[in-house]
Amino acid sequence: MAIYVLRKLVFFLGAIFIASLAIFLLIRGAGGNVAAVVLGKGATPEAINALAHTYGLDQPLAVQYFDWVGNMLSGDLGRSFRTNERVSDLVTARLSVSIPLALSGLILGLLIAIPVGTYAARNVGTPSGAILALVSQIGVAVPVFWAGILLSLLFGVRLGWLPTGGWTDWSVSIWGAIRSLVLPVLSLGLIMAAVLIRYVRSAVLDVMNQDYLRTARAVGMTRTEALLKVGLRNASLPLVTIVGLQIAELIGGTVIIETVFSLPGLSRMMLANVAAREVIVVQSTVMLIIIFVIAVNLLVDLLYGILDPRVRSSR
Amino acid sequence: MTMNQPSPMSAPAGVPISPPQRKPRRKLPRNASLLIGLVLTALFLAIALISFFYLPSNPNIPVIRNRLLPAGTPGHWLGTDVLGRDIIAQLMVGARTSILVGAGGATFSLILGTIAGLAAAASGKITDEAISRGSDILLAIPGMVTALVLAATMGSGALTTILALTAFFTPSFTRVIRSAAMGVLNEDFITAAKLYGRGKIFVLARHVLPNIAGVMIVQFTLYFAAGILTEAGLSYLGVGVHRPSISWGLMLNEAQQQVGVSSPLAIWPGFAIVLMVLGLNLLGDGLRDVLDPKLARRAS
Repeated sequence: MAIYVLRKLVFFLGAIFIASLAIFLLIRGAGGNVAAVVLGKGATPEAINALAHTYGLDQPLAVQYFDWVGNMLSGDLGRSFRTNERVSDLVTARLSVSIPLALSGLILGLLIAIPVGTYAARNVGTPSGAILALVSQIGVAVPVFWAGILLSLLFGVRLGWLPTGGWTDWSVSIWGAIRSLVLPVLSLGLIMAAVLIRYVRSAVLDVMNQDYLRTARAVGMTRTEALLKVGLRNASLPLVTIVGLQIAELIGGTVIIETVFSLPGLSRMMLANVAAREVIVVQSTVMLIIIFVIAVNLLVDLLYGILDPRVRSSR
Repeated sequence: MTMNQPSPMSAPAGVPISPPQRKPRRKLPRNASLLIGLVLTALFLAIALISFFYLPSNPNIPVIRNRLLPAGTPGHWLGTDVLGRDIIAQLMVGARTSILVGAGGATFSLILGTIAGLAAAASGKITDEAISRGSDILLAIPGMVTALVLAATMGSGALTTILALTAFFTPSFTRVIRSAAMGVLNEDFITAAKLYGRGKIFVLARHVLPNIAGVMIVQFTLYFAAGILTEAGLSYLGVGVHRPSISWGLMLNEAQQQVGVSSPLAIWPGFAIVLMVLGLNLLGDGLRDVLDPKLARRAS
């Protein structure tokens, strides 16, 4: 197990290094004088040079890269050119919106997908199984933002039960914050569920056809008992992988849903800074997101090792 | 569903015949998805083609006296938007964008992914390791984030969106192609070809490629669909296509500004996206059953 963990850790660090290089080159390599763009038309060359100098933008790219990485390692994500706010402050201020949204979306998706997918697997070939397959097929084709728009049309505009958008902060009213999150979470969760149902269904189908399940039945367990006691642990392996892979998808969905419901989350901050050419802010925020995704994948791999002893020895 | 007997068409020339199937399951209309998918896809392709020759009216020129006409108005059967632009005309041009961007992204990533995947499968352990780990890392970068960064640095537009999709899809293509090619490379006829003195490139082009063509077609279709969804999302966010080009995502963005004023505006482009993506997904699933029985069984 120790070697397995070590190997995964090395991959984790290597991945972060390569990703940081890719992001840096992508953002800086696009060229253009960043300081000139930030200051806009009419800026004097002196002002441009001064800004470039303050933020080290006049240094060679390699120096800038190592400065950035070095600073990140010591916990300094840089500052906004315009407002001089710390990127870490900008990010943490948004997390109270983005994290509850993404996490509840994922949980809701799983809560729907696991029972429905299992049911669909146990009813393959019957009309109800076919209908479920069709519904999830359609669900996969629905863009998450359209789901959001439709839900806000129905529950916000028509019925008036919930706000169609906007944000009440947790500090103002916890109930208000929850109310502003209901429709976004519902949109995200339903779309996640549509994708996940297919995976759950195939994972359960796979397990149902295994010999060990027949053995479990032969020693006297009922079908449900066998599925829960023997099948679940086996089916959990592909599921854990899928959840890991879906994290990137989940973040993409969160980005869009925050826009649909005008939530002041991480992605709206990103969009605004992308438009303003705040390279440091964008670069560091993107890097944080990527580190998060890679870390989740590392956890998934480690969890995999715990759940399945075979994985530890074979890799 | 996909566990049924393969249809008689399941082994066209060049595709390895699958091992015998397990117990036959009850018959659902198994090629229904192929048929429905084909019809829907053909329908949208036709609409996009027609839009080059005929549009009910100019989808970009505002006609204020026609603003917000309801659906069913003669001449504007799905109504008009807040600037009086015909919805049908916009939807038709939107089909063009979706197909161009979706197919463009899928094509480029298919080409790059095939090259990388074949290289990984056929070369030594180090190259394989490098390509495989490399695509693992790229897979961890959320596509939406890549697209945002690209839009920020290159400016938004159809071409940037295609590039973003390519960056986003190539790693997954590489993985799929690599594993499919590995499977073929283990076959006896490859050993035979090598013994016959055939070079690596020849073997790949003459023997491996035709045998993974089925996988490639299926994956192309599915990523075509994913590309349309992503393009719609980016255009909705305002970092994809913008006017005078029209995208269904862009239409939804504009419609949402007026949600409450005229909700039907937010319905039609969404339907178009769902139908087109559903069509391509069904087509992909149907083709998988026909062209790639091995994968079909795994996917079920």
